Amino acid sequence: MKPFISRILTPLLSVFVGLSMAHAANWTAGMKEGNPALKSAGPLAFGPEGILFVADTKGAAVVAIATGDTKPASGAKAVKVEGINQKVAGLLGSTADTIIINDMVVNPISRNVYLAVSRGRGPDATPVLVRVKSGGELEVVSLDKVKFARGELPDAPVDGVVGQGNRQSNPRQESITDVAFFQDRVLVAGMSNEEFASTLRAIPFPFQTVANGTSVEIYHGAHGKFETRSPVRTFVPFKIGNEPHLLAAYQCTPLVQFPIKELKPGAKIKGKTIAELGNRNRPLDMIVYQKDGKDFLLLANSSRGIMKISTDSIENAESITERVADKKGTPYETIESWKGVDQLDLLDAQNAVVVRRGEGNSLNLESLALP
Amino acid sequence: MVQSRRIAATAIQVLWMAVCVVPGLNPTDLRAAVASTAARLPSTQLSIHWIHPPDDASRGVVEVTGLDAATLKQLRQADWKPEQWQRLMAVRVEQGDLITDIGLPPMLGTYRVTANSLRFEPRFPLDAGIAYRATFQPDQLPRGKTIGAKPVSAVFRRPVRTEPTTVVTQVYPSASTVPENLLKFYVHFSGSMSGGHIYEHIHLLNDSGKPVELPFLEIDEELWNPDMTRLTLFIDPGRIKRGVKPLEEIGPSMEAGKSYTLVIDKEWRDSMGIPMKSDFRKTFQVGPVDREPPDPSRWKVVPPESGTRNPLEIVFNESMDHALAQRMIDVSPVSGTRMKGKATLDDQERRWTFAPAEAWHAGAYKLTIQTTIEDLAGNNIGKPFEVDVFEDIQRHLTNSTVTVSFEIR
Repeated sequence: MKPFISRILTPLLSVFVGLSMAHAANWTAGMKEGNPALKSAGPLAFGPEGILFVADTKGAAVVAIATGDTKPASGAKAVKVEGINQKVAGLLGSTADTIIINDMVVNPISRNVYLAVSRGRGPDATPVLVRVKSGGELEVVSLDKVKFARGELPDAPVDGVVGQGNRQSNPRQESITDVAFFQDRVLVAGMSNEEFASTLRAIPFPFQTVANGTSVEIYHGAHGKFETRSPVRTFVPFKIGNEPHLLAAYQCTPLVQFPIKELKPGAKIKGKTIAELGNRNRPLDMIVYQKDGKDFLLLANSSRGIMKISTDSIENAESITERVADKKGTPYETIESWKGVDQLDLLDAQNAVVVRRGEGNSLNLESLALP
Repeated sequence: MVQSRRIAATAIQVLWMAVCVVPGLNPTDLRAAVASTAARLPSTQLSIHWIHPPDDASRGVVEVTGLDAATLKQLRQADWKPEQWQRLMAVRVEQGDLITDIGLPPMLGTYRVTANSLRFEPRFPLDAGIAYRATFQPDQLPRGKTIGAKPVSAVFRRPVRTEPTTVVTQVYPSASTVPENLLKFYVHFSGSMSGGHIYEHIHLLNDSGKPVELPFLEIDEELWNPDMTRLTLFIDPGRIKRGVKPLEEIGPSMEAGKSYTLVIDKEWRDSMGIPMKSDFRKTFQVGPVDREPPDPSRWKVVPPESGTRNPLEIVFNESMDHALAQRMIDVSPVSGTRMKGKATLDDQERRWTFAPAEAWHAGAYKLTIQTTIEDLAGNNIGKPFEVDVFEDIQRHLTNSTVTVSFEIR
């Protein structure tokens, strides 16, 4: 995930300016130089000063990489790379059906696009970060000698080893479904391949020697009068009134808000369900942006296209506490022309970048004017 | 012709081995090793070929021979950008159709000038079954326009195993009847599988053979174990029936009293890109909903005799989640540390046995059970999967444990 550097958050950040400025010169302090040896590359998020956070599910860590890509973009340039999956595959010496583009983010400083790519689809797949420069040229981000820091996921299971001899392995794995940087913390949503639980961790950044993240359980009340544990699919830091919130879209499509200040160790948070986005639908990605002085949320879905939701309506939303037949709550507008969007991020104040399905099996990377 | 090919192949292998046996190999040694062996090869004609170590075709490199010493010297001294090297020699993956292939970037790699050749070493290993076309353009040489030689190219394709071997070995829960609010399946494979677009190969059919629409939570990250031999498949909780009325619109995935079949189709490819050997089908009955949390006080513990390494047995009063029951129950002396041993589940995940690494002693022991252990419906100890918010139910939010004592005699 992406979203956080947005104009909406700028005033929000200024509230924390004292804290942020104290860190400003030291974001890369304590980083090591070398190869971060990623085992996988999943969700991405940019932090300050060109620092890219890479969720490494197989390595049970979030890795902060100082990309050095800090030269501000000059002017607005459209992005368009047709067949991005085929072109990335060509660069990596593979075919489009054997690579996976796991996430896409824009460096808010240089406006270069970064892709988290899996070269191969099996357990030995190689993680690769690909940079798409503003002219559309592709290059592999060299990780041989970079400044990096690892934020190990706390509570990684250690005693779940099963099997015997050489076949011993720990089958439990926690998938990272989204990451975002907020203020001085990396927020990480995780989901286990065994327990059906949702964890959200706030890991202080720069990472400490012992990363003691905050793990919380989040419930929502979307299914009738029942609360349900459900994993978070994608989230975005967001300001509601004067209060910083997280808006989280769950795997089973309710949109839930809760105050960031509630993210405390071991806390149980009950989110307020503000919209039920409907059956047969999966949330994919979210961004926030400002247009004509108003704040909006864009949510990409598997089957309902792009939803545009005004934050005024979120601020005044009533919590959904009754059984919902399909969709309910905060009203939204469906942007019909944005079809087949898999990945979404903000390019600049007027444009978004998407990865969306084109003809046949090809995926296109392109910028679109914000609706 | 055949004979000469064999000789050439042998020469290439020898060449590679000569490179590989040099201890503490560095670029200078590499050049020396290549030079000493390859000096005997005919090098009068421009040619391009792929070479690889005899035991690892994925580490293939491209070599252009037949360049004269003056050209090689110029190349060695050329301070070229990657694009210039790529114009001279590039490896492209054939993506399957001509239209797609146009405009694809060349594969990344390193260019190296040896004593008698130009080499391209791909940055990534060469995948089986993919056609890699290496092309050398003599007119891009420093004095290329005057040479007048035609481009040369060579295609390399690693042989691929085509015989399907991978199968689904087991699906948990193994019971023939599951609760209506079943939360997940674990699908075990005989070998590593490939990820990406997996849900199109997994189907749930109702008793008239029609597919249930979107019964599973389709998670982009796909919940695999690290070696990708086990997939966790969650039933969409939004599709689990609540109360007496069915869900509006789309309805529940499964209803009590009916039978369903889980189908894994063989088109799903394993990690080598080969389809599976056969489809997998598991038919099961759906029973009543289970909203009752697991209760260890209702488990039957069957202690073994002291002095033996016979297994300890727990008989649950219901089927438990296969993965969690295997790792969330520890055995220890009542005031001692966790015992080493092997836990297994059988009898439709209703019986848990623990074979200790060392013999039992007479005395008091305990089971320590994490409260996050789940039954088939995802109910935890002390906490049903879903909680009615209007009932005051105490929750255990931390990963706490409960203990059950037993005696070894």
